Amino acid sequence: MTSPFLPYSHAPELSLDQCIKCNICVSACPVAAVEDYFPGPKYAGPQAARFRHKNQNTPDRSVDYCSGCRVCNMVCPNGVKIAEMNARARGDIVRQGNVPLIQRLRNNLIARTELLGNLAQPIFPLSNILLSNPVIRGITEATLGIAKDAYFPPFARQRFSRWWSKRFKSQQKIIRVHPRSSASKIVFFHGCATEYYEPRVGRAAIHILEANGFEVIIPPQNCCGLPLLSNGEFKAARRYHENNVRKLLPYAREGIPIVGTSTSCTLTLKEEAPELLDMHDKDSRMVAENTYDFNEFLLLLHTASELVTEHLRPIPFRMAYHQPCQYRAHRIGSPALEIMQLIPELEIIEGHADCCGIAGTYGYKKEKYEISMNVGQPLFDFVLDVGGPLVVCDSETCRWQIVHGTGTPSIHPVELLAASYGYESEGALANVLNGNLPTSM
Amino acid sequence: MRSINTEVLVIGGGATGTGILRDLAMRGFDAVLVEARDLTHGTTGRFHGLLHSGGRYALKDPQAAKECIEENTILRRIMPHCIEDVGGFFVVTPWDEPEYADSFLAGCRVAEIPIEEISIDQMLADEPLLNPEISRCFRVPDGAADSFAAAHANVASAREYGAKVRTYHEVTGLISDSSQQTSNVQQPASKVIGALCHDLVNDDQVAIHADLVINAAGAWVGKIGASAGVEIAIRPGKGTMVAVSQRIVNTVINRCKMPADGDILVPAHTVAVMGTTDEQVPDPDSFAIEPWEVQLMLKEGEKIIPGFKEMRMLRAWAGVRPLYQETKTNASRDIARSYVLLDHEERDGVSGMITITSGKWTTYRKMAEAAVDLVCEKMDTKRECRTHLEYLPNIEHTTHQITAETQRAQRKYSSNKPSRSWCLRGSNLGERLSKIETERTYGQLICECELATCADIERAINEDNAKTLDDIRRDVRLGMGPCQGGFCTMRAAGILHQGAVDGDQWSVEQTNVSLRDFLEERWKGVLPVLWGKQLHQERLNELIYINVLNVEHLPGPKASPLAAQPYSLSPSHPPSPLPRPALSQDEGLREGKGAWGVRGEGTIVIGAGLAGLTAAWQSAQQGGRTKIIAKGWGATHWASGCIDVLGYHAHKRAENPKKGIQNLITENPQHPYALIGLEKLADALTAFQELCQASGYPLHGSLEQNWMLPTAVGAIRPTCLAPETMIAGDLRSKEPMVIIGFEGYHDFFPHYAAANLEAQGYTVRAVIIDPSSLRSRKRVDTMILARLFDQEDFRAEVADEIKPHLKDVNRVGFPAVLGLKNPLEVLRDLESRLGCKVFEMPGLPPSVPGIRLHNILLSAIQKAGGRVENGMEVLAYSNERGAAKNCISTVWTESAARRTPHNATKFVLATGGFLGDGIKSSFAGYVQESVFNLPVHNLTSQDNWLQREFFHDQGHSIFTTGISVDNNFCPVDQDGKIMFNNLAIIGSALGYGDFIRERCLEGIAIASGYIAGKSIGAK
Repeated sequence: MTSPFLPYSHAPELSLDQCIKCNICVSACPVAAVEDYFPGPKYAGPQAARFRHKNQNTPDRSVDYCSGCRVCNMVCPNGVKIAEMNARARGDIVRQGNVPLIQRLRNNLIARTELLGNLAQPIFPLSNILLSNPVIRGITEATLGIAKDAYFPPFARQRFSRWWSKRFKSQQKIIRVHPRSSASKIVFFHGCATEYYEPRVGRAAIHILEANGFEVIIPPQNCCGLPLLSNGEFKAARRYHENNVRKLLPYAREGIPIVGTSTSCTLTLKEEAPELLDMHDKDSRMVAENTYDFNEFLLLLHTASELVTEHLRPIPFRMAYHQPCQYRAHRIGSPALEIMQLIPELEIIEGHADCCGIAGTYGYKKEKYEISMNVGQPLFDFVLDVGGPLVVCDSETCRWQIVHGTGTPSIHPVELLAASYGYESEGALANVLNGNLPTSM
Repeated sequence: MRSINTEVLVIGGGATGTGILRDLAMRGFDAVLVEARDLTHGTTGRFHGLLHSGGRYALKDPQAAKECIEENTILRRIMPHCIEDVGGFFVVTPWDEPEYADSFLAGCRVAEIPIEEISIDQMLADEPLLNPEISRCFRVPDGAADSFAAAHANVASAREYGAKVRTYHEVTGLISDSSQQTSNVQQPASKVIGALCHDLVNDDQVAIHADLVINAAGAWVGKIGASAGVEIAIRPGKGTMVAVSQRIVNTVINRCKMPADGDILVPAHTVAVMGTTDEQVPDPDSFAIEPWEVQLMLKEGEKIIPGFKEMRMLRAWAGVRPLYQETKTNASRDIARSYVLLDHEERDGVSGMITITSGKWTTYRKMAEAAVDLVCEKMDTKRECRTHLEYLPNIEHTTHQITAETQRAQRKYSSNKPSRSWCLRGSNLGERLSKIETERTYGQLICECELATCADIERAINEDNAKTLDDIRRDVRLGMGPCQGGFCTMRAAGILHQGAVDGDQWSVEQTNVSLRDFLEERWKGVLPVLWGKQLHQERLNELIYINVLNVEHLPGPKASPLAAQPYSLSPSHPPSPLPRPALSQDEGLREGKGAWGVRGEGTIVIGAGLAGLTAAWQSAQQGGRTKIIAKGWGATHWASGCIDVLGYHAHKRAENPKKGIQNLITENPQHPYALIGLEKLADALTAFQELCQASGYPLHGSLEQNWMLPTAVGAIRPTCLAPETMIAGDLRSKEPMVIIGFEGYHDFFPHYAAANLEAQGYTVRAVIIDPSSLRSRKRVDTMILARLFDQEDFRAEVADEIKPHLKDVNRVGFPAVLGLKNPLEVLRDLESRLGCKVFEMPGLPPSVPGIRLHNILLSAIQKAGGRVENGMEVLAYSNERGAAKNCISTVWTESAARRTPHNATKFVLATGGFLGDGIKSSFAGYVQESVFNLPVHNLTSQDNWLQREFFHDQGHSIFTTGISVDNNFCPVDQDGKIMFNNLAIIGSALGYGDFIRERCLEGIAIASGYIAGKSIGAK
């Protein structure tokens, strides 16, 4: 028996009661604007939901075109959980076996980032060659339906967790610029992107936390399960979330905050997984309540005057910033922007484009690649218009999509703060800073 | 007077009457059925739709239980397309006697009702919303019946066998041989020979002569009998039901106890119906839905499904059961039966008539069989009943000209089950969705809630001969979803008009009156459940039909004779409880650590409608740190995109808003305009005009004179400031025009608009164009068109299509879709291509002109350094940091996994009134501002909240409720004492006027937002 009683407010479908059919979501949906096969959030969500029932097999074709960007939720004046309804409808399609086998195989391949990383990262030179080889990509598109033009980031030479454990073992001296009386502990949730592709983001985050006097703990952890959730693979996603809750719970119980630089991972721990999977148990809730987006946490410190803001080094550049939809979905305002505004001489131009289009794994699918690029076009135009050396964005898949759509390298906001704190930058930011700043710095 | 002869006349088009008609026809009788309104208009169309397994009667009435299960089995066989096999549960809740369950089980076994006890885990797995405290659960073969489809299927079958049906034929009296006249005779007639009818559609008298009359008029049999001097004692028993806006259960849920009020929950199509009460009423034609009945449904529903009373109720309705009381001893033919069959020759010495009444929907076929058996006896002939042996036809198929022969052959009952496609309105929940999804016809939807497409509606008009929107509704469930006709009424009227124009003579007034009738009919059913979300929905519907489209001022009578009769006025509400205590200030404040954003300095504006955006723009402009926090976007996206300052005053169109406001202020000194004053209003409008001008989207007009602009249905709409894209439509000029529609675009019907304008004395033509770039699209909606008009290629294509139609006109009207990015450029480009003036006509949301205003303000705020955060609902407020008394320091918003604090020194509340959900109401009658729990004023007693008519002249008093403020827009309590020093209330939350009906939504919003923003930003 897996169906505990759901309090009225919990099941997203019940929120359709709040819908007054006003079409605001339809007017804002970036996918409906470019794709004829997607009739829009109102139809796919609160309207179709009145005709769905879990024991009834419905050929629900169009809802699969929802990218899950949640723009609809954000503009809805009535709090209808449209994106969640759509995600759960997709879950039903999968559960009822209405996804063609090849497509399901493909979805599972691109949605299992942890598995993919574990297999492909150790052989990264080969993996990277294969992923960028047009012939291979042509074949995977033809056979599996993975869009041949979609951008896969290169695997890192060394995993983040490997780096961490080495560093931990070598007892590298922790630089403490903040004179905290007693070291506060903090848990860092790195997520798959930092682990396999961009360990530099994790390193920057750790530098910042340590600079603020925290003792960083990185417990064993799994993929947050979001890619699986957004592909309707709820059963597998549930396993991941259960594992994460189990592994993070001891810290949450002690009141140790859990922070993450991947906005979608933290959102999944906070809300997506419990809500989509009906996991409203006490443990899940405790982990959720102790999880923070990285900048959300920094801003909390700052408001309490506990964030180190002295002696920040200037970064005299103008850069475009895109707040990802998954970040807006936290509904916490724009903490990353406020933190970046602390950095002297840095000029951040905020864009107001809705979505980059990639929506996690959406843009990697052959049938959705073009939609994803069309959705992202206004953002690409904005980035090229601002024309800085770098684009700043909180979410990894959005960063990669921006790189793909504009050719401009993209970084996480924490990389900027870490650089301003004086840590040595890596990757694109290092190139920019080294090329333009006096070498003495 | 026309005269008709037949062998048997059936009075009553409910389940029994239609069942009898079919049985008669199948046994070879020549039969005619008359119904006062449309089929199922009586009790058959107003019950909960339960196909009984018999379980409900297992102990109370074993005979009825046995009949139910027998008929249940037969109906499932002969009309699978009218029955959804959902099954039923009998559940023992903590409120039910546990002992009943065992005798219930035994009773079911005796009646041979298949029954099985299931575990509570199994029950919750099937129906997760059920009360987990339920102790026992039994599964029985209940079902959900579509009584409307069933009646139509019976009629379709009867017609194939030669029977005739006359709807909208009201029996005014029986004809007896003694008088040859209708009679309200006291003297009993010796023989009834027919009935006299009033044909409501053609307003004509029709006499129908018959060898035998079957009185199957349900609760009305007494009234019919009385006209032949026959006394039939019917005590109408009213039953009230409410429908929940979604199908919260997929199984019929019965309480396992002796049948009583409010113990059944039935899934029916997309809703779940909670029923019923049982109240004797004196007259089947006049009864009320009383508040206690609705309250009882909520209370009992809560026992079955926790959270039930917080759910959105869609509608309530009441039907009357015909409860028979025999006045003559031993006169009822078969007392053992659960229905009543009266042979009046035997009983009263009146030949030529029999009466059948009482009973249940489930046993209608058996009742028909018994009645027709008696007919055979009377006619001295022996013909076997075969109604249980043949399938009932599918209406869709009969209209699709399959030969009667093959069809009958197909339908002959055999062991083969009918195929799935043999279904009518979808015998299972997902069928409509499947159809739309498979055919990808989502772009053709007219009623979006119930998934009725354009083709469905055209078929109802062309093949089922629907004459009114209500007829269409019964055919395709038009307007039966949550918005209750909010969006589809206008669309269906457009189609009805176009369809009718193609056919016979039809005036636009007929369409208009049908549209108004339909809105009134929907209002009738929502009226008993208007609180909370449904009241919010109705306010949006008012905005659309009264404010934007102005349909009440379309030509034609206000209502037609076919209009639905509202329920009687209900007796008083129970006295309202005390206002709900304010939310505890500590509630949910788990994050005690600090607050976001504007750290202690600056202004937070709550709400992003026109008022909030204007206030934030002004505040930021003045240099104040400003942030908007909004749950979502506001009414800009729904309204016309014009700036209405005052359109109607004292039931008259205001030509001069300035003068109108002067009068308004004198008459109603509490109106927000009195506070704002004409001078500041003019300043605010000028500033707003300057902003729009600078943004390349000029607004024209002045306070001295209103524009008279055409709406999307061709009504004349007064407004003060209009964008340049609309002013060429001004109807103070009689210049001829052509109105353009787009093939496949269902939010705008140019022929309907043109006909209305013509009826008002203008020279107008309508053209529907079909540009090739739209043809391949699955859907053409407002946003798609607006984005296409931003593209030059599309404009060129459209202009080429229109050019041949421009003879003798010098202006061209479009739906309001002429571009989002640079509408002025779109306008100029079209004008130069067409060589004449171009204008937009605002219609259904989303409003492109409104979105333009929203975007202009959004970028003005951002340019001035303000921020706009949406998707964040303010849930609570607090007063921290030892701030001054009567000051707010922090508001808390809902965010993922926790609440997020936002500090500021000044706050502006711009969450709107009922339309913006800034003021909330509950069934219990409390009304409150939704963020700060401010008390509202100008609230009448709940009995007077709403009028019985949607379009009532006076409007609905509840909507004039608002928050009282002082001269600085600070909220004050009843004694005029300031409640919060650093809070300003602006926009529709101000109340003391019905801004939608007065057409001053935008004027109030901009003026109050401007004043508050300016003064706060400056300080």
